[in-house]
Amino acid sequence: MIGTVAAREYTTLMRDGRMKLTVTIVLVMLFVALVSAVQRYRDISEERATSQALVNAQFAEQGAKNPHAAAHYGIYAFKPVTPLSFFDTGVSSYQGVSVWLEAHKQNRAEGRPADDMTVLARFGELTVAYTLQILLPLLVILLAFPAFAGEREQGTLRQVMSMGIRGRDLLFGKALGALAAIGTTLGPVFALGVLALMFAPDGLSYLPHAISLAVIYGLYAVVFLFLTLAVSAALPNSKPVLVAMCGFWAVTVFVVPRLAADVSRIAYPLPAAVTVDKAIEADLQNGLDGQSPDAVVGQRREQTLTLYGAERVEDLPINFQGIVFSIQEQLGNAIFDVHYGGLNQTLDAQQGVHELLGLISPVLPVKLISMELSGTSLHHQASYTRHAEAYRREFIEQMNQAITLNSKPGEAEYRAGPELWAAVEPYDYEPPGFFSSLSTLGPSLMTLFLWLLAAVTAAVLATRRLKVTAG
Amino acid sequence: MFFRVLADEWVFLRTSRMWWAALATLSVITIVAAFVGSARVQQLDQLAGGLNADEVMLQQTLKAGVERYEANPSGDPPSTMNAGALGLSLLAHYAVKPSTPLAPLAVGQSDLAPAYYRVTAHAAYTFLNQIEIANALNLAAGSFDVAFVLIFVLPIFIVALTFDLLSKEKEQGTLALVLAHGVSVQTYVAAKVTARALLIGGLILIANLAAFVTIGADLTDGRTLLEAALWIVVSVVYGLFWFALALLINSWNWPSVTNGVVLANLWLVFVVVLPAFINIGATLIYPPPSRVELTTELRQASKEVEEEAAEAREQYYFDHPEYAEGGTPDAFYFQVLATESAISAAIAPHLAEFEEQARKQEAMISRLQYLSPAILAQRALSGIAGTAQRWYDDFNAQVLAFHQVWQGFFSERILGSIPMSAASYDTIPVFGYRLPASRFTVGQTAGPLAGLAAFFLLLTVLGIRSAARYPAV
Repeated sequence: MIGTVAAREYTTLMRDGRMKLTVTIVLVMLFVALVSAVQRYRDISEERATSQALVNAQFAEQGAKNPHAAAHYGIYAFKPVTPLSFFDTGVSSYQGVSVWLEAHKQNRAEGRPADDMTVLARFGELTVAYTLQILLPLLVILLAFPAFAGEREQGTLRQVMSMGIRGRDLLFGKALGALAAIGTTLGPVFALGVLALMFAPDGLSYLPHAISLAVIYGLYAVVFLFLTLAVSAALPNSKPVLVAMCGFWAVTVFVVPRLAADVSRIAYPLPAAVTVDKAIEADLQNGLDGQSPDAVVGQRREQTLTLYGAERVEDLPINFQGIVFSIQEQLGNAIFDVHYGGLNQTLDAQQGVHELLGLISPVLPVKLISMELSGTSLHHQASYTRHAEAYRREFIEQMNQAITLNSKPGEAEYRAGPELWAAVEPYDYEPPGFFSSLSTLGPSLMTLFLWLLAAVTAAVLATRRLKVTAG
Repeated sequence: MFFRVLADEWVFLRTSRMWWAALATLSVITIVAAFVGSARVQQLDQLAGGLNADEVMLQQTLKAGVERYEANPSGDPPSTMNAGALGLSLLAHYAVKPSTPLAPLAVGQSDLAPAYYRVTAHAAYTFLNQIEIANALNLAAGSFDVAFVLIFVLPIFIVALTFDLLSKEKEQGTLALVLAHGVSVQTYVAAKVTARALLIGGLILIANLAAFVTIGADLTDGRTLLEAALWIVVSVVYGLFWFALALLINSWNWPSVTNGVVLANLWLVFVVVLPAFINIGATLIYPPPSRVELTTELRQASKEVEEEAAEAREQYYFDHPEYAEGGTPDAFYFQVLATESAISAAIAPHLAEFEEQARKQEAMISRLQYLSPAILAQRALSGIAGTAQRWYDDFNAQVLAFHQVWQGFFSERILGSIPMSAASYDTIPVFGYRLPASRFTVGQTAGPLAGLAAFFLLLTVLGIRSAARYPAV
């Protein structure tokens, strides 16, 4: 029975002239988004790879230098782009794409693409994900709002019910028919997207991500579909159904995400860059726990002298200056960990607000899941900057050890050569894998599941006792 | 007859719960948005106020040290008398853009563009690219400001209130009933529409006044009053555009539900699709140069300049053997200035390319903005609030000009080896933001407002002509 209902619903929907406008808009937007994204992805991924190779080469070919000068010269770590970033740019436009790794300092990422975007980008960046997040629900609503209420107005609902069909069968039949209609419309775009992914370098390893994304957006459509069917079954006429669902769509898709941003900012304010920099500067001068950097260096000097049984630093077989640099780095790193750790906690807390408000807007969990699987989330950025910082610490330590072990005490004119630069592993970053991404998505997946449960339950309850006549 | 119908309509609407609910909801969300905006601007003002206070304290401390030395000069002069040490290491001046009175109403570009720069005697490229700490998730989502409520949410209210303006009467059979009383269709429709247009205008006015009160705008100030008036005019014309659009759709005699679907799609086209397409078009036709490439070019330029500088340094020491032993501080600062100015010259063409592309994108958008009333409203409102890109471009130009003065002050003393006396501390330049004249605001608003008015008039004329032929049955 469900099959018959579905088949009839499908045929009716595919013939509905009212849908043509929205379907055309959706398809045009998806197509433009896809084509421009593929183009951009190719340019950007090439450029990042070339630039990384260039700075790696610049470092390797810097000529004879004191290792500390090389540490100051530093290396740039560029954030590589994942193939699915063409599908969903997530928050990547609003984050720096390179970090300068140098001695003494943990720099923040710089070169934010948003600074070079037009002011119209603030209306929303056109990507496939953005189009789906905004338009998929509207498409579903416009498709499904007359499902019960419209038939009720035309009197066909009475006829159908008089044939003894159960409300639940009618519900799932109509849902299936509507999903088939959406599938027919959007299926080719999905196929095109997968095809584009196949041709992207390293694209195949993102197939699990792509399939998961398809499932997530499918569930997103199902949530709106069952909500619309529930309202269509509950309200007497199709007009109030349309008004109510369009209102719900506008509020959940446009208002709540912005509200989430403002609520999170007010609930968990971030310090200004100048405040953070001043605090770090003060800690670097005074030490973290009241122990001044000079005192730590003095202590280590005594220990080292005792260890080698020497009277003076000049008598040591190693260059103590290298150890001083290392101590400074360790002290600095502890300070950076405190301040940037605090910042990251605030960012997490802010994201928590978006996760929580997902309970009143299904687009929020979908957005968070989508950008995570596309490699353009906050979590991915944090992973990239963490990796870059770990690399910085290791590379600076290599330079400091070279001073300690290879030069004589007080030998400022010591020069290291290409062997030392070659000993530094070229910077290379692998984004977190599929399961690492999944592991961060607990709250969002749970919220989406709750929405699904609530929507289906509401629809089943609303169709349990269907009124057959319009009010 | 017109006024009779108008009066009847007025009584009907005055008692309509739906309209009161709309007014209440719109006012509440506008107040929330204004409150959020106030909090945001206050935070920024507080930060900016603190920046200059810290600086004044530091300068006074340093100056006191110099005064002590001047009163009793013995031994080497303190480093705080060295212009190089001061300009290139100890001192910085925060150039701050104070917030404009209506800034809480529209975030505009204020969450991306810096409202302050730490100006030093170093080259401009060293401080221009600073990024404020922010959560990218929030930046990408955008803000819930009053401009958003007016541009995105208000049309939904208007459409919801008017999509079945005529079709409903027809569907319920009341239209035929009214016309049977001898009222002409034109008079009836005109009165009905006028009553609703007045109400919508009132709705927007009240919501905006509530917003002005919430942010504590001082409307006794002439400039603020002018801006507030412009703000109201833009939002009312924008709101009436949506009303006229709903009216036009109504006049085509479709069922209410079809009107609703069509209007929802038009909302989508004007508010979502056109901005997105124009944005992507401008980006594809005038792509911004790559920041990543700029980074590597800056690095390459530094490397080359430093290698040349090393040669120059050797030449310098050849000429001044007395400095070769470790060099003097002045020689070092001299070198820093020379190196940075060479790097600036090397990257200047690349930076100019960024500006050029941004200028072309802006030119294209300012032509295509006339396709979408939502874009027109966004540009007008952020222009009035003082948070549009042009305000930040103007601020950046002021900062760059000030940087020249500041750097000139120190480099003159560095190059001339002139010590910084206590008296010269008082002549250190101070940045004063020059608020652009009100014609700057009016200039940014005039085009978009004219565009909005044209949209409104066109639709009204079409709507009236089409409604006059509205079949009663």
